[in-house]
Amino acid sequence: MRWPQSRQQMPTSEVSFPVMTETPVAELLVAAGAGSQEAWNTLVDRYGRLVWSVVRGFRFDAATAADVSQTVWLRLVEHCDRIRNPEGLASWLATTARNESIRASRRLARAIPTEFSVEVADDTAPPLDERILDDEQLQEVLGAFGEMSPKCREILELLCTDPPLDYEAISDILGMPIGSIGPTRSRCIDRLRRLLERR
Amino acid sequence: MTEELRDEQLLARLAAALDASNPLPESVVEAAKATFTWRTIDAELASLVFDSAAEELAGVRNAEATRQMTFRTPGVEIELVVVSETSRRLVGQLVPPQTAEVTLHHEDDTRVAQSDSLGRFTFHDVPTGSVRLTCKLADDDAATVQTEWTII
Repeated sequence: MRWPQSRQQMPTSEVSFPVMTETPVAELLVAAGAGSQEAWNTLVDRYGRLVWSVVRGFRFDAATAADVSQTVWLRLVEHCDRIRNPEGLASWLATTARNESIRASRRLARAIPTEFSVEVADDTAPPLDERILDDEQLQEVLGAFGEMSPKCREILELLCTDPPLDYEAISDILGMPIGSIGPTRSRCIDRLRRLLERR
Repeated sequence: MTEELRDEQLLARLAAALDASNPLPESVVEAAKATFTWRTIDAELASLVFDSAAEELAGVRNAEATRQMTFRTPGVEIELVVVSETSRRLVGQLVPPQTAEVTLHHEDDTRVAQSDSLGRFTFHDVPTGSVRLTCKLADDDAATVQTEWTII
Protein backbone atom coordinates (compact mmCIF):
# COMPACT_ATOMS: atom_id res chain seq x y z
CA MET A 1 0.00 0.00 0.00
CA ARG A 2 1.35 3.41 -0.90
CA TRP A 3 0.76 6.46 1.24
CA PRO A 4 2.30 9.21 -0.80
CA GLN A 5 3.56 12.30 0.94
CA SER A 6 2.12 14.48 -1.78
CA ARG A 7 -1.48 14.07 -0.65
CA GLN A 8 -0.83 15.96 2.46
CA GLN A 9 -4.02 17.21 4.02
CA MET A 10 -2.45 19.37 6.65
CA PRO A 11 1.01 20.81 6.75
CA THR A 12 3.16 19.26 9.42
CA SER A 13 4.23 22.03 11.73
CA GLU A 14 7.80 22.77 12.58
CA VAL A 15 7.46 21.85 16.23
CA SER A 16 10.83 20.43 17.12
CA PHE A 17 10.86 17.48 19.38
CA PRO A 18 13.83 16.07 21.26
CA VAL A 19 14.19 12.37 20.56
CA MET A 20 14.95 10.49 23.73
CA THR A 21 14.48 6.83 24.31
CA GLU A 22 12.45 7.21 27.47
CA THR A 23 10.23 10.16 26.62
CA PRO A 24 6.94 9.57 28.45
CA VAL A 25 4.18 8.44 26.14
CA ALA A 26 1.94 11.31 27.31
CA GLU A 27 4.51 13.82 26.04
CA LEU A 28 4.81 12.00 22.74
CA LEU A 29 1.04 12.08 22.27
CA VAL A 30 0.85 15.78 23.08
CA ALA A 31 3.73 16.57 20.72
CA ALA A 32 2.22 14.43 17.94
CA GLY A 33 -1.13 16.14 18.52
CA ALA A 34 0.67 19.47 18.08
CA GLY A 35 2.09 18.34 14.76
CA SER A 36 5.44 16.74 15.51
CA GLN A 37 6.26 14.07 12.94
CA GLU A 38 9.28 13.16 15.07
CA ALA A 39 7.15 12.38 18.08
CA TRP A 40 4.85 10.35 15.87
CA ASN A 41 7.79 8.38 14.47
CA THR A 42 8.94 7.65 18.00
CA LEU A 43 5.48 6.28 18.84
CA VAL A 44 5.57 4.06 15.75
CA ASP A 45 9.08 2.84 16.59
CA ARG A 46 8.05 2.10 20.15
CA TYR A 47 4.72 0.39 19.48
CA GLY A 48 4.95 -0.87 15.90
CA ARG A 49 6.03 -4.35 17.00
CA LEU A 50 3.18 -4.54 19.51
CA VAL A 51 0.55 -3.78 16.87
CA TRP A 52 2.20 -6.18 14.45
CA SER A 53 2.36 -9.01 16.96
CA VAL A 54 -1.39 -8.78 17.58
CA VAL A 55 -2.21 -8.63 13.86
CA ARG A 56 0.26 -11.42 13.13
CA GLY A 57 -1.67 -13.73 15.43
CA PHE A 58 -4.53 -13.73 12.92
CA ARG A 59 -2.37 -15.31 10.19
CA PHE A 60 -3.44 -12.92 7.45
CA ASP A 61 -1.66 -12.76 4.13
CA ALA A 62 1.03 -10.07 4.05
CA ALA A 63 -1.10 -7.46 2.26
CA THR A 64 -4.06 -7.82 4.62
CA ALA A 65 -1.81 -7.72 7.68
CA ALA A 66 -0.22 -4.51 6.36
CA ASP A 67 -3.68 -2.99 5.75
CA VAL A 68 -4.89 -3.86 9.23
CA SER A 69 -1.76 -2.46 10.86
CA GLN A 70 -2.15 0.69 8.78
CA THR A 71 -5.75 1.12 9.90
CA VAL A 72 -4.67 0.93 13.54
CA TRP A 73 -2.13 3.71 13.01
CA LEU A 74 -4.66 5.81 11.08
CA ARG A 75 -6.97 5.45 14.08
CA LEU A 76 -4.24 6.70 16.36
CA VAL A 77 -3.50 9.65 14.07
CA GLU A 78 -7.12 10.67 14.48
CA HIS A 79 -7.21 10.05 18.21
CA CYS A 80 -3.74 10.99 19.44
CA ASP A 81 -4.99 14.18 21.06
CA ARG A 82 -8.02 12.43 22.54
CA ILE A 83 -6.43 9.46 24.28
CA ARG A 84 -7.73 9.91 27.80
CA ASN A 85 -5.20 7.66 29.48
CA PRO A 86 -1.81 7.94 27.79
CA GLU A 87 -0.30 5.23 29.99
CA GLY A 88 -2.90 2.88 28.53
CA LEU A 89 -1.73 3.48 24.96
CA ALA A 90 -0.25 -0.01 24.62
CA SER A 91 -3.55 -1.48 25.69
CA TRP A 92 -5.49 0.85 23.36
CA LEU A 93 -3.31 -0.10 20.40
CA ALA A 94 -3.52 -3.83 21.14
CA THR A 95 -7.29 -3.64 21.55
CA THR A 96 -7.69 -1.63 18.35
CA ALA A 97 -5.40 -4.04 16.50
CA ARG A 98 -7.41 -7.01 17.72
CA ASN A 99 -10.77 -5.42 16.86
CA GLU A 100 -9.58 -4.44 13.38
CA SER A 101 -8.15 -7.94 12.89
CA ILE A 102 -11.44 -9.57 13.87
CA ARG A 103 -13.30 -7.24 11.55
CA ALA A 104 -10.90 -8.02 8.71
CA SER A 105 -11.10 -11.78 9.23
CA ARG A 106 -14.91 -11.63 9.15
CA ARG A 107 -14.84 -9.39 6.12
CA LEU A 108 -12.63 -11.89 4.37
CA ALA A 109 -15.47 -14.34 5.02
CA ARG A 110 -13.27 -16.95 6.50
CA ALA A 111 -12.70 -18.28 9.93
CA ILE A 112 -9.42 -17.70 11.68
CA PRO A 113 -7.30 -20.59 10.42
CA THR A 114 -6.55 -23.19 13.04
CA GLU A 115 -3.48 -24.39 11.17
CA PHE A 116 -0.37 -22.67 12.35
CA SER A 117 2.34 -22.12 9.80
CA VAL A 118 5.83 -23.04 10.90
CA GLU A 119 7.39 -21.53 7.82
CA VAL A 120 10.20 -19.22 8.63
CA ALA A 121 10.33 -15.95 6.77
CA ASP A 122 12.60 -15.65 3.78
CA ASP A 123 16.17 -14.38 3.69
CA THR A 124 15.06 -10.76 3.77
CA ALA A 125 14.11 -11.20 7.41
CA PRO A 126 16.50 -9.73 9.93
CA PRO A 127 19.02 -12.27 11.17
CA LEU A 128 17.89 -14.25 14.14
CA ASP A 129 19.44 -13.31 17.42
CA GLU A 130 21.78 -16.26 17.89
CA ARG A 131 22.05 -15.74 21.59
CA ILE A 132 18.38 -16.58 22.11
CA LEU A 133 17.57 -19.28 19.60
CA ASP A 134 19.26 -21.25 16.88
CA ASP A 135 17.30 -22.45 13.84
CA GLU A 136 16.55 -25.83 15.31
CA GLN A 137 15.23 -24.38 18.54
CA LEU A 138 13.19 -21.90 16.55
CA GLN A 139 11.48 -24.69 14.62
CA GLU A 140 10.89 -26.60 17.85
CA VAL A 141 9.26 -23.64 19.56
CA LEU A 142 7.10 -22.78 16.54
CA GLY A 143 6.12 -26.41 16.06
CA ALA A 144 5.13 -26.82 19.71
CA PHE A 145 3.29 -23.48 19.64
CA GLY A 146 1.38 -24.63 16.56
CA GLU A 147 0.08 -27.65 18.45
CA MET A 148 -1.46 -25.51 21.16
CA SER A 149 -5.10 -24.49 21.45
CA PRO A 150 -6.05 -21.15 19.84
CA LYS A 151 -6.86 -19.79 23.30
CA CYS A 152 -3.39 -20.61 24.64
CA ARG A 153 -1.75 -19.25 21.51
CA GLU A 154 -3.64 -15.98 21.78
CA ILE A 155 -2.84 -15.36 25.43
CA LEU A 156 0.83 -16.36 25.02
CA GLU A 157 1.14 -14.01 22.05
CA LEU A 158 -0.23 -11.17 24.16
CA LEU A 159 2.10 -12.12 27.03
CA CYS A 160 5.26 -11.80 24.97
CA THR A 161 4.71 -8.48 23.21
CA ASP A 162 7.25 -5.68 23.14
CA PRO A 163 6.54 -3.49 25.05
CA PRO A 164 4.79 -5.91 27.40
CA LEU A 165 1.09 -5.64 28.18
CA ASP A 166 0.04 -5.86 31.82
CA TYR A 167 -2.60 -8.32 33.04
CA GLU A 168 -5.22 -5.59 33.18
CA ALA A 169 -4.72 -4.82 29.50
CA ILE A 170 -4.80 -8.50 28.55
CA SER A 171 -7.92 -8.93 30.63
CA ASP A 172 -9.58 -6.05 28.74
CA ILE A 173 -8.43 -7.27 25.34
CA LEU A 174 -9.55 -10.87 25.77
CA GLY A 175 -12.60 -10.15 27.94
CA MET A 176 -11.23 -12.50 30.58
CA PRO A 177 -11.41 -11.86 34.33
CA ILE A 178 -8.08 -10.43 35.46
CA GLY A 179 -7.78 -13.15 38.10
CA SER A 180 -7.78 -15.86 35.47
CA ILE A 181 -4.88 -14.43 33.44
CA GLY A 182 -2.14 -15.67 35.79
CA PRO A 183 -3.46 -19.24 36.09
CA THR A 184 -4.11 -19.43 32.33
CA ARG A 185 -0.61 -18.14 31.67
CA SER A 186 0.89 -20.84 33.91
CA ARG A 187 -1.23 -23.57 32.37
CA CYS A 188 -0.39 -22.55 28.80
CA ILE A 189 3.33 -22.19 29.52
CA ASP A 190 3.32 -25.63 31.18
CA ARG A 191 1.62 -27.03 28.13
CA LEU A 192 4.19 -25.41 25.84
CA ARG A 193 6.99 -26.82 28.00
CA ARG A 194 5.55 -30.34 27.83
CA LEU A 195 5.11 -30.09 24.04
CA LEU A 196 8.75 -29.00 23.75
CA GLU A 197 9.98 -31.81 25.97
CA ARG A 198 8.22 -34.32 23.79
CA ARG A 199 10.20 -33.16 20.76
CA MET B 1 15.37 -28.78 24.87
CA THR B 2 15.78 -31.04 27.82
CA GLU B 3 16.67 -28.47 30.44
CA GLU B 4 13.87 -27.09 32.53
CA LEU B 5 13.17 -23.58 31.32
CA ARG B 6 11.74 -20.97 33.58
CA ASP B 7 8.45 -19.43 32.45
CA GLU B 8 10.10 -16.13 31.54
CA GLN B 9 12.80 -17.85 29.51
CA LEU B 10 10.22 -19.89 27.67
CA LEU B 11 8.16 -16.79 26.88
CA ALA B 12 11.30 -15.01 25.69
CA ARG B 13 12.07 -17.92 23.38
CA LEU B 14 8.53 -17.89 22.07
CA ALA B 15 8.70 -14.13 21.46
CA ALA B 16 11.97 -14.55 19.56
CA ALA B 17 10.56 -17.42 17.50
CA LEU B 18 7.38 -15.52 16.59
CA ASP B 19 9.39 -12.44 15.65
CA ALA B 20 11.76 -14.50 13.54
CA SER B 21 8.94 -16.28 11.75
CA ASN B 22 7.04 -13.10 10.93
CA PRO B 23 9.04 -9.95 11.70
CA LEU B 24 7.55 -6.48 11.45
CA PRO B 25 8.24 -5.43 7.84
CA GLU B 26 10.07 -2.16 7.37
CA SER B 27 7.46 -1.17 4.77
CA VAL B 28 4.75 -1.39 7.44
CA VAL B 29 6.79 0.84 9.75
CA GLU B 30 7.29 3.39 6.98
CA ALA B 31 3.59 3.33 6.09
CA ALA B 32 2.66 3.83 9.74
CA LYS B 33 4.97 6.85 9.97
CA ALA B 34 3.52 8.27 6.76
CA THR B 35 -0.02 8.15 8.16
CA PHE B 36 0.90 11.29 10.11
CA THR B 37 0.68 13.41 6.97
CA TRP B 38 -2.98 12.38 6.71
CA ARG B 39 -3.76 14.09 9.96
CA THR B 40 -6.59 16.58 9.84
CA ILE B 41 -7.76 18.81 12.63
CA ASP B 42 -10.27 21.01 10.86
CA ALA B 43 -12.90 18.30 10.40
CA GLU B 44 -15.15 16.73 12.95
CA LEU B 45 -14.41 13.04 13.23
CA ALA B 46 -17.32 10.65 12.64
CA SER B 47 -16.71 7.43 14.57
CA LEU B 48 -17.71 4.04 13.29
CA VAL B 49 -20.54 3.08 15.64
CA PHE B 50 -22.02 0.15 13.71
CA ASP B 51 -20.47 -2.29 11.28
CA SER B 52 -22.41 -5.31 10.11
CA ALA B 53 -19.07 -7.02 9.37
CA ALA B 54 -18.26 -6.85 13.06
CA GLU B 55 -21.70 -8.01 14.18
CA GLU B 56 -22.02 -11.19 12.20
CA LEU B 57 -21.15 -14.39 13.92
CA ALA B 58 -18.28 -16.25 12.31
CA GLY B 59 -19.68 -18.93 10.04
CA VAL B 60 -23.16 -17.40 9.91
CA ARG B 61 -22.51 -14.90 7.18
CA ASN B 62 -23.69 -14.95 3.64
CA ALA B 63 -20.87 -14.39 1.25
CA GLU B 64 -22.62 -11.98 -1.11
CA ALA B 65 -24.15 -9.87 1.64
CA THR B 66 -23.93 -6.13 1.59
CA ARG B 67 -22.07 -4.56 4.46
CA GLN B 68 -23.63 -1.76 6.43
CA MET B 69 -21.79 0.80 8.48
CA THR B 70 -22.82 3.82 10.49
CA PHE B 71 -20.48 6.71 11.29
CA ARG B 72 -21.63 9.27 13.82
CA THR B 73 -20.83 12.71 15.12
CA PRO B 74 -23.11 14.52 17.56
CA GLY B 75 -24.69 16.38 14.63
CA VAL B 76 -24.83 14.00 11.72
CA GLU B 77 -24.81 10.33 10.85
CA ILE B 78 -23.38 8.79 7.71
CA GLU B 79 -25.04 5.53 6.75
CA LEU B 80 -22.94 3.55 4.33
CA VAL B 81 -23.66 0.37 2.43
CA VAL B 82 -20.96 -1.51 0.56
CA VAL B 83 -22.57 -3.41 -2.29
CA SER B 84 -20.30 -6.08 -3.76
CA GLU B 85 -21.82 -7.39 -6.96
CA THR B 86 -19.89 -7.41 -10.22
CA SER B 87 -18.14 -4.30 -8.97
CA ARG B 88 -18.04 -2.64 -5.59
CA ARG B 89 -20.34 0.29 -4.91
CA LEU B 90 -20.55 2.59 -1.92
CA VAL B 91 -24.06 3.86 -1.34
CA GLY B 92 -24.43 6.39 1.44
CA GLN B 93 -26.90 8.68 3.08
CA LEU B 94 -26.48 11.61 5.41
CA VAL B 95 -28.87 11.74 8.36
CA PRO B 96 -30.48 14.21 8.79
CA PRO B 97 -30.80 14.42 5.00
CA GLN B 98 -28.82 17.28 3.49
CA THR B 99 -26.81 18.21 0.47
CA ALA B 100 -23.09 17.96 0.84
CA GLU B 101 -19.94 17.59 -1.19
CA VAL B 102 -18.75 14.10 -0.37
CA THR B 103 -15.16 13.14 -1.06
CA LEU B 104 -14.02 9.54 -1.07
CA HIS B 105 -10.36 9.14 -0.12
CA HIS B 106 -8.84 5.89 -1.22
CA GLU B 107 -5.10 5.68 -0.81
CA ASP B 108 -3.73 8.09 -3.40
CA ASP B 109 -7.06 8.55 -5.12
CA THR B 110 -9.91 10.93 -4.32
CA ARG B 111 -13.33 11.20 -5.88
CA VAL B 112 -16.10 13.67 -5.29
CA ALA B 113 -19.85 13.14 -5.32
CA GLN B 114 -22.74 15.42 -4.46
CA SER B 115 -25.41 14.18 -2.07
CA ASP B 116 -28.98 14.89 -3.17
CA SER B 117 -31.68 16.58 -1.10
CA LEU B 118 -32.33 13.27 0.66
CA GLY B 119 -28.67 13.07 1.61
CA ARG B 120 -27.95 10.19 -0.75
CA PHE B 121 -24.72 9.65 -2.66
CA THR B 122 -23.06 6.81 -4.56
CA PHE B 123 -19.53 5.88 -5.59
CA HIS B 124 -19.08 3.21 -8.27
CA ASP B 125 -16.20 0.80 -8.88
CA VAL B 126 -14.55 1.31 -5.53
CA PRO B 127 -11.49 -0.91 -5.04
CA THR B 128 -10.72 -2.67 -1.77
CA GLY B 129 -8.46 -1.03 0.78
CA SER B 130 -8.62 1.77 3.32
CA VAL B 131 -11.17 4.49 2.66
CA ARG B 132 -12.51 7.57 4.36
CA LEU B 133 -15.28 10.00 3.47
CA THR B 134 -15.11 13.75 3.93
CA CYS B 135 -18.45 15.55 3.81
CA LYS B 136 -18.61 19.31 3.40
CA LEU B 137 -22.09 20.05 4.66
CA ALA B 138 -23.99 22.74 2.77
CA ASP B 139 -26.48 23.54 5.51
CA ASP B 140 -24.33 23.93 8.53
CA ASP B 141 -21.97 26.84 7.90
CA ALA B 142 -19.98 24.56 5.63
CA ALA B 143 -18.92 22.33 8.50
CA THR B 144 -16.79 19.36 7.52
CA VAL B 145 -17.36 15.88 8.85
CA GLN B 146 -14.87 13.12 8.25
CA THR B 147 -15.22 9.41 8.87
CA GLU B 148 -12.59 7.22 10.45
CA TRP B 149 -10.44 5.24 8.06
CA THR B 150 -12.04 1.88 7.40
CA ILE B 151 -10.96 -1.06 5.30
CA ILE B 152 -13.59 -2.12 2.80
